[in-house]
Amino acid sequence: MTTTLKSVDAVVIGLGWTGSILSMELASSGLSVVALERGAYRDTSPDWTYPRAADELKYGIRGELFQRLSKDTVTIRHAIDGTAVPYRQLNAFLLPNNVGGAGVHWNGQHYRPSPEDLKFYSHNVERYGAKFLPEDMTIQDYDVTYDELEPYLDQFERLCGTSGQAGNIGGKIIAGGNPFEGPRSRGYPTPPLPDTEGALRFAAAAKQLGYSPFPQPAANCSQPWTNPYGVRLGPCNLCGYCERYGCYLYSKASPQTTILPALLQKSNFEMRTHSTVTKINMSADGKRATGVTYVDAAGREVIQPADLVILSSFQINNVRLLLLSGIGKPYDPRTGTGVIGKNFAYQMMSESALFFDKDAAINPFIGAGAGGQQIIDEFNADHFDHAPHGFVGGGYILGGTTGGRPLQQLNVPPGTPAWGAKWKKAAKETYLHSTRVQTHASVMSYRDAYVDLDPTYRNALGQPLARITFDWHENEYRMTRFVTDRALEIVAKMNPKSHTVTMRRPGDRFNTRQYQTTHITGGAITGANPQTSAVNRYCQSWDVSNLFVFGASAFPQNLGYNPTGLIGGLTYMGAHAIREQYLKSPGPLVSA
Amino acid sequence: MKATFRRPAARLGGVAFLVAMGLALQPAGRGHAQTPAQADSALIEHGAYVAVLGDCMACHTVPGSTSYSGGLPLATPVGTIYSTNITPDRQTGIGTYSYEDFEQAVRHGIRKDGKTLYPAMPYPDFRHIDDADMHALYAFFMSGVKPVHHQDNAPAISWPLSMRWPLAWWRWMFVPGTNVPSAEVEHDALADRGAYLVEGAGHCGTCHTPRGFALEQKAFSPQDGSAYLAGSRIDHYTVSNLRGGDIVGLGSWNEDDIVRFLQSGRNQHSAVFGGMADVVYQSTQHMSEADLRAIAHFLKTLPPPADNRKFSYDPAVKQALFRGDVTERGALDYLNNCAACHRSSGMGYEDTFPALAGNPVVNDPDPASLLHIVLTGATIPGTHVAPTHYTMPSFGDRLSDQEVADILTFIRSGWGNHASSIDAEQVGKFRKLIAPTNEKKTL
Amino acid sequence: MPDKKILKNRRLFLQQALAAVPGITLLGMTGHQSLFASTAWAAPGQQTPYRPTFFTATEWMFINAAADRLIPSNEDGPGAVELGVPEFIDRQMESGYGHGEFWYMSGPFVTDVDFTLGYQLQFTPREFYRAAIADIDQACVNMHGHVFAGLDAATQDSVLEKLQAGALTLAHIAKPAEFFIQLLANTKEGYFSDPMYGGNRHMGSWKMIGFPGARADFADWMLQPGRVYPLGPVSIQGEKA
Repeated sequence: MTTTLKSVDAVVIGLGWTGSILSMELASSGLSVVALERGAYRDTSPDWTYPRAADELKYGIRGELFQRLSKDTVTIRHAIDGTAVPYRQLNAFLLPNNVGGAGVHWNGQHYRPSPEDLKFYSHNVERYGAKFLPEDMTIQDYDVTYDELEPYLDQFERLCGTSGQAGNIGGKIIAGGNPFEGPRSRGYPTPPLPDTEGALRFAAAAKQLGYSPFPQPAANCSQPWTNPYGVRLGPCNLCGYCERYGCYLYSKASPQTTILPALLQKSNFEMRTHSTVTKINMSADGKRATGVTYVDAAGREVIQPADLVILSSFQINNVRLLLLSGIGKPYDPRTGTGVIGKNFAYQMMSESALFFDKDAAINPFIGAGAGGQQIIDEFNADHFDHAPHGFVGGGYILGGTTGGRPLQQLNVPPGTPAWGAKWKKAAKETYLHSTRVQTHASVMSYRDAYVDLDPTYRNALGQPLARITFDWHENEYRMTRFVTDRALEIVAKMNPKSHTVTMRRPGDRFNTRQYQTTHITGGAITGANPQTSAVNRYCQSWDVSNLFVFGASAFPQNLGYNPTGLIGGLTYMGAHAIREQYLKSPGPLVSA
Repeated sequence: MKATFRRPAARLGGVAFLVAMGLALQPAGRGHAQTPAQADSALIEHGAYVAVLGDCMACHTVPGSTSYSGGLPLATPVGTIYSTNITPDRQTGIGTYSYEDFEQAVRHGIRKDGKTLYPAMPYPDFRHIDDADMHALYAFFMSGVKPVHHQDNAPAISWPLSMRWPLAWWRWMFVPGTNVPSAEVEHDALADRGAYLVEGAGHCGTCHTPRGFALEQKAFSPQDGSAYLAGSRIDHYTVSNLRGGDIVGLGSWNEDDIVRFLQSGRNQHSAVFGGMADVVYQSTQHMSEADLRAIAHFLKTLPPPADNRKFSYDPAVKQALFRGDVTERGALDYLNNCAACHRSSGMGYEDTFPALAGNPVVNDPDPASLLHIVLTGATIPGTHVAPTHYTMPSFGDRLSDQEVADILTFIRSGWGNHASSIDAEQVGKFRKLIAPTNEKKTL
Repeated sequence: MPDKKILKNRRLFLQQALAAVPGITLLGMTGHQSLFASTAWAAPGQQTPYRPTFFTATEWMFINAAADRLIPSNEDGPGAVELGVPEFIDRQMESGYGHGEFWYMSGPFVTDVDFTLGYQLQFTPREFYRAAIADIDQACVNMHGHVFAGLDAATQDSVLEKLQAGALTLAHIAKPAEFFIQLLANTKEGYFSDPMYGGNRHMGSWKMIGFPGARADFADWMLQPGRVYPLGPVSIQGEKA
């Protein structure tokens, strides 16, 4: 039996970063807001207190904070004629769950996009000509410029108390920051965290090569910070348990440390946990969302009517719910038509572990998910002339470690076996004297990389799993070769005794066993044209104007930076448009 | 519904708070005859504020149940008593009380039936509430609170202490005259307002003033001597001394610090814990800025003791820990358990993690609060101006008695702190005191 | 060549282990000498041997023998067995993880897909150990005349290498190398994770490499990059070194 509840002004699907921002902004506008979260309520206490948070097995390996794949997962295949098989164990990317979502267990690497990232198609065509792009590459422009987005990127940084060194304020280049960043209206809320030994060695080498290293911008506060909602964060102490973990010190920005304490005080906001939305319900004419259907903790089906529906779950779940609800035209890779599921993308990493002499006290266990590392941005986005290299995109190169947790972050020199006495000896002798250099790079979108519903596999509620079709393309192999070579030049300058190289080479397939990033993107992309995008510049559905879809699902392709800063900016821009325009005059905010 | 997570108490704010407490915005008084029908909404709202000042909610509401319906068990040295239903329900509440009945109960501890209330009801302090506030309070409880049918529980006190007539004797003996005006301090209107609030509705002395052999409050105002607000012990917490001493007292806090503390539960020196956390959450954060300033101003008129000593920060411990020198007993345990938040400097972080250096709670001769917090943890309540509810986890199951003793001795002597050392036996006894089943860890 | 003290501890442990596991048989073993040489199950100082709840006596012999080869005890530091890794794995088998709560375990199971598409077998961790150990022991008996635990160290290593390379044919396991991945992962988990899970006794592995464990606070040390960190580790439950 299905229960139908009293209608509310807005229903929010998923209470992670974007759901929390929208809940706060809409509740502050006086709307009655119900947030439906399929996972549990989680908070610093009791869920990740000191020192219980420092548990690598529980959080890092078993993935206490992640989606239980036994309940729900995705299927993956490499090509459109292949058979997809389930992603049975979490490895390549981590699917979030629970209140706070991935905002709880992210690194806090908090970037803005480069201005050209938002106009990536037209920028590259303008500079290199249309023929420079491979035929099957389907990259597109955002329908928003960097300058339009800047106030909202700034707003998200203020929310997080992000630490960093500005490199460009109002067009003026500032020494010590990122000279390639777009103009900022002001600096970071808090100064950068101190550099770790690994980062210092990297930065020194990078400088010798003529680069401009700068501290990685980190949503790990360097000082206590009270954000505009009145919520206060504590300062990071580089504890080494950051990504995959909740922050026991209230330092890493998460919905719990930046929004929920204020949001939960609001009497017009209600959070319902263990409530899994199975469908966005539509009016008979298919033009309006009437609310959602969800399954509660007891397994009962409940209908929550609402005037406004905010879809704010993780990227892949956003796409799947749109497909399950029949909203928008599903993407067809054979014809290239349709939009839902289109332009799935990922990122490409490479890595080198460096091993120094025993007198080098690198202490890799001192680290934060973002703070304490140094970056160079010379080879990201279109910060360099791609013409001689035959690819578009790029990535940043970073030096330092996020921690030295021995199960996941202990490196051994090249040639060391994976087990036995030699492995143990290597682990013992090199642990304290090793660091890492990594590249973190873009992946373009392609005609054959997309998301649809799996015909075979189902989740615990009996719904089809999302099916990801994805593999690497030539552009990315070239890109990673080029950027990794630049990284290895820095590695050589750092002069380690030995170093490893891990990278994707031509012919290597997308490997679901190797963690790279959790940054899967696309499937409900933003753009200027309803024929080629699912949502407009405000992340409003072209098809259903009282539905907004927030998150990395909106990215038309994946950029070299970590996505959260851009997600936050797009979300605040959408929230602002809802408050200032939509609520006054509900309907499409952009005419198709 | 299990699927629904709500924090009812955590969502109240401003007017919403008053409404949630039962302030009827629609015409008041359907069905309860005693209502002063003309009680205007301004008077009721004023009364609601007086109820906030007096934190009536704290005792007269079981968390999660209807406001003011009573039933909260209150452990007293003589046995458990239960707070009463003070909603305007005619059968089980105070619906038949006239203003005079109400005034007799609140100010003088005498029920409508003539019996004396247990002095858990702070009527000795409420004597100070003036007529205007008292009328408003009456209007609020009669017209602003929803009547709830809820029978009072009988107190669980065994004979002969269960007899009520000695309470009247106690009242005659220990509660000085009636309607005593609150202190006047050098014709300082702000301090007078503060005194009115602290001595009267706020009934701060109920907890913060020590009690005598018959559990009588030793002082009711500054004029009664240095016992007034000199600290006490309740529920196995040390209740802070609010007088002017620097090491133990509010000497090192300025008025802004006090206002900030009462408004937010935290300030650059310290953070609220124990019973005071509820007081901040339910009462003081809702007080007007002007009233908080008055309270702060009044408290700062209380003098330090004659032998007052100023706190002077000593960097030796900080420097040793920074070098990684943990040779001092307790130093390694401090680093392993405390330093992540309170820092090796002992300074914590302003408004975030309380400082231990120079903190009166740390320096109090009575270590009860320290022991209590280390063993069971503490949470700063999220307030309107500071919504973050920082929590210190409990360390009771991680630390042995000896380790707790070593840590407390270390922090009570480090950074310029100057308090007695603690031994393992004290810790063990305290563990049993707060929870007889709280066994020390076996590792 | 193990030193005499370690050897003595191994003998002691073996006696205790045998006493603790009723009905254990030494079927397929070549004799005490190879047994002692190939199985370092001793946890020095441990008074009561751990009694496995999930693993059978023969499986327990396998786990101990395999863990000892994957991370042997020697002069560089403690081995997996002396740090309690077998106990860790046994306890994990009783957890939600062991029962497959963390993995998607619905069929159909398609095993002839590219390795890069991940684990596709039908076994939960518990089921995997149960099926694979029996098959490996059988394969060892077929090839070498003895179960894995009864082989000498060099032969054990060669069996593990074959398993790792996917070159060991197992009767009921479509992708034998998957079991090696699981076994090595669980062994390292027991070696490096917090002692409260049964392995990494007295933080032996953390002391060996210099990891401070659950201290998780470097506010002072982030200001002193390049300085030798002087403090030993601490565990979640507060054990200090």
